[in-house]
Amino acid sequence: MQFELDDERSLLRSSTRELLEGEAALEDTRSLMEDASEGYSKAFFGQLAELGYFGLLLSEDEGGADMGALGLAAVLAEMGRVALPGPFLESVVASEILRRAEGDAAAALLARVVAGDALVVLADREGLGGAAPAPIATRLEAGQLTGVKTFVPFGEQADALIVTTADGLALAQRPDAGWSASPLPTLDHAQRFAQIELGGPAELLAVQDGALDAAGRLGTLGAAALLFGLMERSLEIALAYMMERQAFGSPLAGFQALQHRAADMLIKVETTRSAVFRAAWALDQRTEDAPFLVAVAKAWAGDAGRLVCGESIQVHGGVGYTWEYDPHVYLKRVKTLEAFFGSTREQLEAALHLAPVAAG
Amino acid sequence: MDLQFSDEQLQFQAEVRAWIAENLDRPWSVECRDPKHDADSLVEVRREWQRKLHKAGFLGMGWPEEWGGRGATEVEEAIFTAELYRADAPQIPNFLGISLLGPALIHHGSEEQRRRFIPPMLTGDEIWCQGFSEPGSGSDLASLRARAEPDGEDFRIHGQKVWTTFGPWSNWIFVLARTDPDDRYGGISFFLMPLEQEGVEVRAIKQISGESEFGEVFFDGALAKREHLIGQIGEGWRIAMTVLGYERGATTLAYPAENDTYLADLISGVKENGDFERADVREKLARLVVENEVLRANGLRTLATLAAGQAPGPESSMEKILWSEYAQRQSDAALDLLGPQAQLQPRAPGARETFDWAYQFLWSRAGTIYSGSSEIQRNIIAKRVLGMPTK
Repeated sequence: MQFELDDERSLLRSSTRELLEGEAALEDTRSLMEDASEGYSKAFFGQLAELGYFGLLLSEDEGGADMGALGLAAVLAEMGRVALPGPFLESVVASEILRRAEGDAAAALLARVVAGDALVVLADREGLGGAAPAPIATRLEAGQLTGVKTFVPFGEQADALIVTTADGLALAQRPDAGWSASPLPTLDHAQRFAQIELGGPAELLAVQDGALDAAGRLGTLGAAALLFGLMERSLEIALAYMMERQAFGSPLAGFQALQHRAADMLIKVETTRSAVFRAAWALDQRTEDAPFLVAVAKAWAGDAGRLVCGESIQVHGGVGYTWEYDPHVYLKRVKTLEAFFGSTREQLEAALHLAPVAAG
Repeated sequence: MDLQFSDEQLQFQAEVRAWIAENLDRPWSVECRDPKHDADSLVEVRREWQRKLHKAGFLGMGWPEEWGGRGATEVEEAIFTAELYRADAPQIPNFLGISLLGPALIHHGSEEQRRRFIPPMLTGDEIWCQGFSEPGSGSDLASLRARAEPDGEDFRIHGQKVWTTFGPWSNWIFVLARTDPDDRYGGISFFLMPLEQEGVEVRAIKQISGESEFGEVFFDGALAKREHLIGQIGEGWRIAMTVLGYERGATTLAYPAENDTYLADLISGVKENGDFERADVREKLARLVVENEVLRANGLRTLATLAAGQAPGPESSMEKILWSEYAQRQSDAALDLLGPQAQLQPRAPGARETFDWAYQFLWSRAGTIYSGSSEIQRNIIAKRVLGMPTK
């Protein structure tokens, strides 16, 4: 038995940390929140593509690095630490669908995603409320799409959409696609969502059985890994502040009330690490309980992330509520991740449904 | 990363499981509600079970061969303990002797002491209780005041010990007592004493569950012989702290395995009541299922770290908080979801025939207090893991 990542994935994790700290540090996230309408750095995403990050999960035959879910989790944990804005995980999910799709169009598009030449995202949600997306009303009839998709991540920036319809999956690509996107700004200032009015041509995307579930599961695991990275760094930021800030003649960190809060934060961070990396390992091993463990990891990580990143604001006191200090960036991203890639409520339901103790 | 048991470990697990199926007459929760039993006869059931385990070579598995060990690894010990919990086997009466005093004797005792005390400890012929806590020294154990006064070669003990598990059925006690009033840590020594002697009085403490598994022990000049001192004078604190650290890993998979049996019972009860499809009920159940699985993930991580020959990281210091606080949430939820039936005493008409949730609910209040309360555990995490300063 061994909990540590193997050498290859440890190296991947440390080189990703180095890259992010150099090229996409938290200050960069902050400035993207302030002014970039794109919501993320296309230049940095180009660099990620050049370094092969969009082919992490692809096999070597497919021109990828074959790093598996563990490699993906290691990378996303690092991206969470700097609250990296942009559709990285969204691209991974789209790629996972495209590689299980038939036809030359899908293969060509996948190659462009991996090369960083195209942004493809999944437009699977309809309706604005509820923990789970509303039933799919979008249609693909005679090669034409009709319907409205909500909360499409980076939908305004996307070059192509994979659309869930009542008639199967559809692939719509610019420039000839006739869709119009309008922004849906949320409380997460570093996130870009769009509502998309679908119209115009699209083709049916034939995929292998279970393709959407498999891709969705990696998205769920990936979101849990991002949540882990967010809370790990958020705790570090909170601790550093508590060590430095003086009150009543001693650092805040000397007060037992805050020590116990910090202990609880650490418990959430470390248990999430245990759950996320175990689930990633199970996915790579294709164990029977992998879907259960992924649901467990995401459900846990969502609650844990909200607690840790919320507490980080609390222990900062008044400055924690200012735009200038960093804790809010983390809590906001947590809320996005809690609600998407399978919301906490969906994951709880999935966990109970799949739990061995509830069988029979 | 590898969280799987090896083929040999899986085989060991299968052997243990088969052995338990063959040798355990009935689960402990069923045994307990048999009207033929009283507290004394239940202790005898436990003693009998301990003898069987010893005969089969399952006690002190990690000890040197000479003392009944088989060079078992942490993973095997964890597998073994998890199987016992899974099967709801009785707890052995000498669990404190074997988990704490045994290692103390092996690592710090003399050859004569080992020869004298280990065999009857393993067979259950001598039951041991632990004399560490005092009425004024619980979480702050080093403030203990029981004193050992020299009497020729030997010592006379004065003071009071409390929370002595199995005290009322024990023959011997291992005691921390003060040999120097001025040296907080270096003034504590580790003695072994028979309870049946002049100057010792054992009283049972009635607990909130109505049982009296714990006791208190009063010493009024009782004899502690020099030959029964473990280590040197003043080494008691260091020895106690080392042996408390040996326990790591053994129960790391046992609690989640035990919780599986509780959860299965809770879920089947909820299904019987026709409440399983209610959204509020499902959310509560799901949160328990998720948290218990996270406990297991954390346990596997601890075990994998130990198995790889590394010192366990922060995940192990939080284990106690995790299982003890989870146990409270679990039994709280059961009493809520199963309704008033779950509050029935086990022999009341209509009580669930499987689990005694009422007892679990009460007992779960102890877990966050004994062996270092949740507050002490959080202090430890803040100071030792997070490096937060003492004010």
